[in-house]
Amino acid sequence: MDVVFITYDRSEKYLKSNFFKKNKNKNKQDQEITPDQMMKKNNRSKLTGKLDETIQIIKSLLGENDDFVIRHFHIFGHYSAAMVYLSHIVDHEVVNRDILKPLMNVPNHLVNKMINLTQLEDVLLNETLSHSKTHIENDIGKLISALLHGKTVIVIEKLDKAFHIDTHKVEKRAVTQPETEQVILGPREGYIESIVTNLALLRNRLPTADLKVKTMTIGRLTKTKVAICYLKGIANESLIKEVEKRLSQIDIDVLLDVGYLEQFIEDNHYSPFPQIQTTERPDKTVASLAEGRVAIIADGSPFALIAPVVFHQFYQTTEDYSSRFLMGSFMRMARVLALVFSLFFPGIYVSMISFNPELIPTEFAVAVAGGRAGVPYPAVVEVLLMEVSMEVLREATVRLPRQVGGALSIVGVLVIGQAAVEAGFASPITVVFIALTTIGSFATPAYTAAFALRILRFLIIILAGIFGLYGVVVGVIFIFNHMLSLKSFGVPFMSPMSPGNLQGIKDTGVRAPLWWMYKRPSFLHPTNEVRLGTSPKPFQKAQSVPSVEGNQLTQEEKNEPTP
Amino acid sequence: MNQLREITVIQTTCILISTIIGVGVLPLPLFGVKAADTGAPLVTFLAIMIAFLGLWVITKLGIRFPNQSIIQYSETIIGKWPARICNFLVIAFFLLLTGLGAREFGEVVVTAVLRETPIEVTVIVMLLMAAIPARNDINIFSYIHVFFLPVILSPGLIIVALSLKNANVLYLQPLWGHDHKVMILGILTIAALFQGTFIITILIPYMRRPKKAMKASLWAIGIAGTFYLLIVIAAVSVFGPEEIKQLLWPTLELARTTSWGRVLQRLDVIFLVVWVTAVFTTLYSSYLFMAFSISQFFHLRDHKMLSYFLLPLVFVIAMYPKNSLKMYEVIVLVGTFGLILTIIYPCVLLVMAILRKQEGHRTIENG
Amino acid sequence: MGNHGNIIRLLCVIVLLVPLLTGCWDSVDIEDRAVVLAIAIDKAEKNAKENEAEISHLKQKGFRKPQEKMIRVTAQIAVPGRIPLGPDTGGGTGEEKPPVWVLSAVGHTLDDALLNLQQEVADPIFLGHLRVIIISKDLAKKGVKRFNDYFRRNPEIRRSAWLAISNGNAAKLINVAPKLERVPALYIAAMLENGVKLGKFPNDFIGLFWRTLSSKGQDAYLPFLKVKEEENIQIKGLANFSNAKMVGMTEPLEIGLYMGVMGERKGGYGVFVDVPGTKAKVLVEAVHRKSRVKTVIRNGKPHVQIKIRYEGQINEKDHEKVEINKSAVIKRIEKKAATDTEKSVKGLIRKTQQMQSDIFGFGEYVRAKHPTYWNENVKTKENWHKLYKEGTYEVKVVFHIRRVGMKAE
Repeated sequence: MDVVFITYDRSEKYLKSNFFKKNKNKNKQDQEITPDQMMKKNNRSKLTGKLDETIQIIKSLLGENDDFVIRHFHIFGHYSAAMVYLSHIVDHEVVNRDILKPLMNVPNHLVNKMINLTQLEDVLLNETLSHSKTHIENDIGKLISALLHGKTVIVIEKLDKAFHIDTHKVEKRAVTQPETEQVILGPREGYIESIVTNLALLRNRLPTADLKVKTMTIGRLTKTKVAICYLKGIANESLIKEVEKRLSQIDIDVLLDVGYLEQFIEDNHYSPFPQIQTTERPDKTVASLAEGRVAIIADGSPFALIAPVVFHQFYQTTEDYSSRFLMGSFMRMARVLALVFSLFFPGIYVSMISFNPELIPTEFAVAVAGGRAGVPYPAVVEVLLMEVSMEVLREATVRLPRQVGGALSIVGVLVIGQAAVEAGFASPITVVFIALTTIGSFATPAYTAAFALRILRFLIIILAGIFGLYGVVVGVIFIFNHMLSLKSFGVPFMSPMSPGNLQGIKDTGVRAPLWWMYKRPSFLHPTNEVRLGTSPKPFQKAQSVPSVEGNQLTQEEKNEPTP
Repeated sequence: MNQLREITVIQTTCILISTIIGVGVLPLPLFGVKAADTGAPLVTFLAIMIAFLGLWVITKLGIRFPNQSIIQYSETIIGKWPARICNFLVIAFFLLLTGLGAREFGEVVVTAVLRETPIEVTVIVMLLMAAIPARNDINIFSYIHVFFLPVILSPGLIIVALSLKNANVLYLQPLWGHDHKVMILGILTIAALFQGTFIITILIPYMRRPKKAMKASLWAIGIAGTFYLLIVIAAVSVFGPEEIKQLLWPTLELARTTSWGRVLQRLDVIFLVVWVTAVFTTLYSSYLFMAFSISQFFHLRDHKMLSYFLLPLVFVIAMYPKNSLKMYEVIVLVGTFGLILTIIYPCVLLVMAILRKQEGHRTIENG
Repeated sequence: MGNHGNIIRLLCVIVLLVPLLTGCWDSVDIEDRAVVLAIAIDKAEKNAKENEAEISHLKQKGFRKPQEKMIRVTAQIAVPGRIPLGPDTGGGTGEEKPPVWVLSAVGHTLDDALLNLQQEVADPIFLGHLRVIIISKDLAKKGVKRFNDYFRRNPEIRRSAWLAISNGNAAKLINVAPKLERVPALYIAAMLENGVKLGKFPNDFIGLFWRTLSSKGQDAYLPFLKVKEEENIQIKGLANFSNAKMVGMTEPLEIGLYMGVMGERKGGYGVFVDVPGTKAKVLVEAVHRKSRVKTVIRNGKPHVQIKIRYEGQINEKDHEKVEINKSAVIKRIEKKAATDTEKSVKGLIRKTQQMQSDIFGFGEYVRAKHPTYWNENVKTKENWHKLYKEGTYEVKVVFHIRRVGMKAE
């Protein structure tokens, strides 16, 4: 059979007629069947032991590709075999050194020993192939998928099994500092696009048998590997089941980022608030796992999803915990303040100017009126215009090439504001308020949550434009009602504030000393609540520490038994 | 109805407090002073006692029938049709209460802050604020109440604290006031401000430990009552009884008199807008009570749809009084007669239940 | 179910949004408001009635004319832009334009006059920043109740604004432009507010004025202001009211005495005291005051016991010969100061008795502490005025001089 140069079309017919007779009738449509569909239908078919046939099938499926390589050779000079791989994703050095070389050369201790076919499998697996990830498979579908994942397949004549050896090599960048969640005090490593590396980062930080990683494949085309990580014995079992259930219901062709997953598994799809946290930081992931949450990592995405999440997490950073509690609490409060600024300031400003000028101190009110005299628009329109242009400029700044970006930073935008004031287009106080809000919105560490606040700010401005301060409060009540009715995997979004939980409150607006928080947040219903050991106290009282040099201990101190 | 019993005692307390404290606080000192000038605090105290009596009775009933709301157990106690008539009246009363509450606040807002805005708009915004979350279940209802409680209590307490500067103890003496002809009426008017506590009748079936409902009632009436008393004392000691008689909303005037140095010269507007929260929680409670009771009255499975169907009805009621003075006449009238439904009716139920030795059985223990 | 809910929710949102589209009912930007900072109320000129436009009432027959006498209301409106934001950046080119615009209108009542005024002003008049209301003495003597009604009803008015009586023309007073402040109205407000802080004047913003005005056992008082040399303002004393009518005034030092009786803690007035046995006088300044008032009913008449305790310091002496270096001297001065003050307080009470103006609120003590007596004999303010005149008063002053400054003798 001139199988080597067979065309795709012919091979299809050939395959249909010869191998997959069972499906013959079903495939009568005119429509061309993609290799993938075909594979799905026929992935039950097994190897027959005929080398040519097998190669033919594989070739018919993948042969069109430029990087498809078939290398015929003889194992130990006896058995005719073929090695198949996709050369672009395979590490050639590994193929040559760890596969081809040991297979072609007869090992020293086997020289002159006759190896029959029945022994061959055993010998190859146990004595020859010096690669740790070597598997035996007899299912063609699985072989094909192995090929597509960068494995090298070795098919041997007369053997109804084939070997596949992991020779995968992908270009990946080094582990770098997380771009979106920078901290001053704290680890500098962030996730990258490779799930292997990401899981490795996790494992390195959590060398415990309790760390469970369950993987599944999502995406009909991308076949993305998705890993669910949790700590057994801490994370609630029903939570894990729920996460698995929601993930398994996803049927999508392309899964490029965890963001796709987030949109499928979140509780309320219409809410502006994110109900799942995305993070780039392995340390944050580990901390979340240790509280009883679940992390989801997908291949090709430098982010991990953390669920369930409560609102307070969105203004917290890992730094709060690694710095001393006073500092951590202070920074946190500053962030909460910034959050409040960015949400309410424009609305309050509008209502003060247009509805209740009596709230401004008289001296200032008269001056504000002076600053606004000549501004053509009412305060609402002015603020909305400024806010919209601010959003446009901000988006532009993100997209700008890095070389140009510096020139048009947000601060640069403020210069435009200055010009607008001088042109009499906006009042100087408006610019001050817009600048405060914009800068305030950068202080929220979680990008997704900051975005929610940006949207809601417009709602508040509009309500303020209609009802003044009354509108602002109505808006606030609507927003909080919504937040209070949100749930993330069954956990109320506003816990531990409401439903109240004393343990949890220690870690909301302020960050209590670590030894106060001796229990894991109970709103996550962890299986094991105890965080700190039996004596949850920090190092208490220094017994006058003897210094290494200088100050000699007095005689009494030396004699005193240490308690 | 097959919800878990998750409401804790603290949550019940919070719900009761924030339900009690509502728009009624604004004219409260006026009611008190009209009844017994300097004796206003005493009148308020007596009113709190009466309100507590009512709350005690419905809580006792609730504990007796821990799996049922008043709509359900009243049918067991006094028979199906008499109970249905009474329950219908209760529901109608809360319909009135919700509508008038929204109207009263709308009236305050339109008079004091948004003078050009049509009252229909402010009222409908208030009602929507109550109607939309009224679709939620009891758990979220409790979360919302707990969350907003500090926002409700703090402005009042801040105003009280800041106004002490201008207080004059003489205005509080003599303690029993000068004339007491209308004292009973005043007591009833103020006691009527506590009628939101009826919400506990639908809460108890969702409580984790219904046996402890009495504790929640005690705390709630204690805290809300203290709050009311403080407001009355502050208003009377700052203005004196004669001045209060000239003020429609003395509590609001209290905020107007108080300024916080040069930083905030007018606290009244801020007080008023923050007070929206208090009004919201009160309306939310009575709205949810209506929706729940109606769904139980007609044996419906779900109360969610009702929340929107009730909206036009409540709105029409809110718009019924022709002007703000007529509105207060209606409010006082409805409130006082409502006491028959919220205090005497449960009393009758309780007495009959005790006489007939009826008791509900707990089927679920600790959900 | 969920789908239904969504549709209904959408409908509701639309229903909500439709009225909002016509919204922004109350939105008036601050620069589009005529921010009134001060109002002066004077008697209208004789011919005002003829010149009045038909704004709040028509002159044709069948309408009864408003009864009240005509008044002239002068408003001081801030001009946006004239009061610059932040500190002056210098470079004053040319003559500085006045930061306020003063204009006036006549009317039968306050609201009438303001409506007339609005007829002449493009922007809506905004009273939210009204800080000072000045009423001329002549009008105040006729009664101030007619103005209170409008101020009480209007939610824009601050209860923390100040009401004051002017000696002469009220409009002139609010136009006096002292150099310390750019805006005249704010200067007057600052003067009164700082007066409270310095212990020069009891706190008496409009809310407190109203409350004393309505109390049955107390009469109200207001600051009495006078224009000095055309460019400055002086707190001339208290304008005493009996019911709602102004009946007299006190001297500035009597404000201090009044505050002493009321026990206003912060002292601010200094007074000359003879050093007994010499011809010299020292100026003693009261630093703290404390008082206790007790009422008893004696022979069917109220008897008031007032105890005042001053703490003061010596600021100055007028004669080199006198030495203030022994505590005995100070003791003598204290005694003298105490008797002097007693005498002056009694004088002040007598003065108010004649005016039938119980600004001290002794009636409130009677009402609060002797309710049965009050119910039987007093009940109304008029009755109390009679009793106030008939009552007996006992004043006891204790003066402590704590320190003498940094000079040794």
